[in-house]
Amino acid sequence: MINPLWETRLLDIAGAETIEQLKSVRESEQNRLAAKLLSSASPADEVIEELNRLHDALIARVLKLAENDLARSGFSAPPVPYTYILYGSAGRYEQTLYSDQDSGLVYAEAANESEEESNRSYFARLSQVMVESLIELGYPPCEGEVIASNSNWRMSIQEWECKIDAWFAEPSWENVRYLLIVADGRAIAGDHELAQRLQNRFFGDMLGTPVIAGRMMENTIRHKVLVGVFGQLLVERYGENAGSLDMKYGAYIPMVNACRLLAIQAGIRETSTLKRIDALNRSDVLTDEEANDAKQAFIVFLRWRLITTCSPDNGELQGTGKIRVDQLPKEAIGQLKQALKAGKQMQRRVQRELQRRFGGR
Amino acid sequence: MVKKSLIALGALLLMFPTMAFADDPTAGQLNVGLNALWVMLAGILVLLMQGGFILLEAGSTRMKNAGHVAGKTIFTLGLASIVYWAVGYGFTFGGDASESLNKFIGLGNFFFDPGHAAAEGDSYPSSVFFIFQLAFAAVSLSIAWGGFAERAKLSAYLIFTLFFVSVIYPVVAHWIWGGGWLAKDGAQDFAGSTVVHLTGAIGALAATILLKPRIGKFNKDGSANEILGHNQVFTALAVLILWVGWFGFNAGSTVAIGDGFFGFVAFNTQLGAAAGAVAALLISWLVNGKADITAMLNGALAGLVAITASCAFVDPWAAVVIGLVAGVLVFFSAKFFEKIKVDDPIFALSVHGAAGVWGTLANGLFATEELSGKVGIGKAGLFEGGGWGQLWVQAESVIVCGAFAFAASFIVLWVVKQVIGFRVTEEQEIIGLDLSEHGNYGYPEQMKKAGTSV
Repeated sequence: MINPLWETRLLDIAGAETIEQLKSVRESEQNRLAAKLLSSASPADEVIEELNRLHDALIARVLKLAENDLARSGFSAPPVPYTYILYGSAGRYEQTLYSDQDSGLVYAEAANESEEESNRSYFARLSQVMVESLIELGYPPCEGEVIASNSNWRMSIQEWECKIDAWFAEPSWENVRYLLIVADGRAIAGDHELAQRLQNRFFGDMLGTPVIAGRMMENTIRHKVLVGVFGQLLVERYGENAGSLDMKYGAYIPMVNACRLLAIQAGIRETSTLKRIDALNRSDVLTDEEANDAKQAFIVFLRWRLITTCSPDNGELQGTGKIRVDQLPKEAIGQLKQALKAGKQMQRRVQRELQRRFGGR
Repeated sequence: MVKKSLIALGALLLMFPTMAFADDPTAGQLNVGLNALWVMLAGILVLLMQGGFILLEAGSTRMKNAGHVAGKTIFTLGLASIVYWAVGYGFTFGGDASESLNKFIGLGNFFFDPGHAAAEGDSYPSSVFFIFQLAFAAVSLSIAWGGFAERAKLSAYLIFTLFFVSVIYPVVAHWIWGGGWLAKDGAQDFAGSTVVHLTGAIGALAATILLKPRIGKFNKDGSANEILGHNQVFTALAVLILWVGWFGFNAGSTVAIGDGFFGFVAFNTQLGAAAGAVAALLISWLVNGKADITAMLNGALAGLVAITASCAFVDPWAAVVIGLVAGVLVFFSAKFFEKIKVDDPIFALSVHGAAGVWGTLANGLFATEELSGKVGIGKAGLFEGGGWGQLWVQAESVIVCGAFAFAASFIVLWVVKQVIGFRVTEEQEIIGLDLSEHGNYGYPEQMKKAGTSV
């Protein structure tokens, strides 16, 4: 997709020297994309793709600026190769207009202990600058502390490998949650080979401990697709959001969880949900029809999730992820119900398969 | 010690030989005695249902009102007893009215004197019957309090008790049970789905309409907020107490041991309640996606309310159907009242009103020829080959009793509202009725006034 407008934008981003400049690019681009989405002329997946290319370009540029910043303040260039990793929706290429930062960092092993120590302090400093710059650019930090400035998510490749092994060896609720986060990780910039090694370790361990899939399902199953047995929408009944449907936790997240689980079991390394579905189809886990239904449903979810964060009457920037169903036109409700049913089917399928293999609790 | 007793007993026997050879009681005396025991036991069970109402209402409301909610039940029980003794019982069962007046209200037996024993030819002492009937009136009253909860003035409780127990409840009870015009039409309401439950629920409806919703129940845009009760365990325990008490309520309404028919009535009661609980939990699960405890508890009560009218008139399978329908009905009814912005904190309108109507109408559908004949009231329902006749009579009794109870309650409470005010001030409502009406918290440790020391 060659788009002259986009090419100029990339140049703008590449040439930006301050966060302020990046911020203005981000704002104008996002306004354009929001208008595009609301005009409903283009499908949500296209908008999402464009939006995530924008986020990627911005984040990569911020990283470059952070490196420069460190160089200016007396640090040298990065002492060893490293990769900045994105998790969560960014990892899945599914960031909205106002997503927060979930990130981590991995750097190559050091030759000796003193080098190790200096690497540690360099990357601590780099992550700090990076995270702060991103906050300035409008990416709030992750509430769950999954962020590169947290030393638990910033390690050398060896430490990372040990940690992943340990999580697999001791699949407590918390550790399984970490593994699910790692599963969506991807490199944004730097030495992609390091990210590759982490993925290799993850999928290798996955093969070695198949029971982990059951634990992963239990960890995610509490978010149910919000459609009832009669096909009715399960909206919130009380409070200020009464009558609204939780698109994030009642549609989008369950679908993400189901596809992730099927994908990592099949050894698929894609992190985007739509790409995971395609890959599942190619490896015959999903039939053409299943894959098509799942994709259509997921695009509907993506669209609503995006809209809830950019609707003009939603004064706040941070969206609730909830939509007032009673204000929707009839056909939109019909489409939503159909998508939710497909989502529920997907969720059921994963649940049934894993229960058959590992039994109930 | 034993030896001394035996000697004393022997001496007494010598002195009063008749004691040893007293006549055996006659079959009639035994019958009266057994009936009296059974009705008394039933009366105690129904009275104990007040314990259920205390826990139900307190558990379903907030901590700041708990002492008030619980205590006012005991106070109004006391007041109701005196009012019922003075006039209520007379208007219900008094036999001195002329035949045309008696269609609408009974007269006589005011300041009721039951005598010391059963009168000649009676099958039980009227003292026991009075206690049993009084307990029913008190239950109806406590149901009405559901509509007052958390915002009515204590004085309004007092005045409403006076009118409800002296006139409103007795008139409806007279129509159906006291030989009034609906009794003559053959209205089947064995233990009071209409008389007790619907009348009480309609009182609650009038109150909640006049009081308007509690502060914070509805938002400006019309959406509802959930005001959770402070103790769901109380609420569950309340339902169990009411359930057990209901055996006195329904089975006791046979007011006789007789051939053991009360056992059948109890049997149907159990089935109705069970079906209500099961149906309500399942329907809430299906519709909301979560199995709702409050809905399930309401379902059990709705099953009980619905089977109350029909427990002596229908076959066991029908009791199950009646309970199942009641459980589903109460769930949707609660949703409906919330939608039309009627605040019903204890679900009185749905549990006692909607289910009371359904239970009464259910007789018109499921009453069997045989059981109607056995009880001696009305005839078979629509599905039992009796045609539409009984259903019509049932509908008539629901509509007329409901309309009367609503008009009378509304007038009384409207006058209260105009003259002395019905609702506490906003400030009082926010600090809670424990403090505003009684000066002390029901849970002092949990509800310390800001700025006061221990």
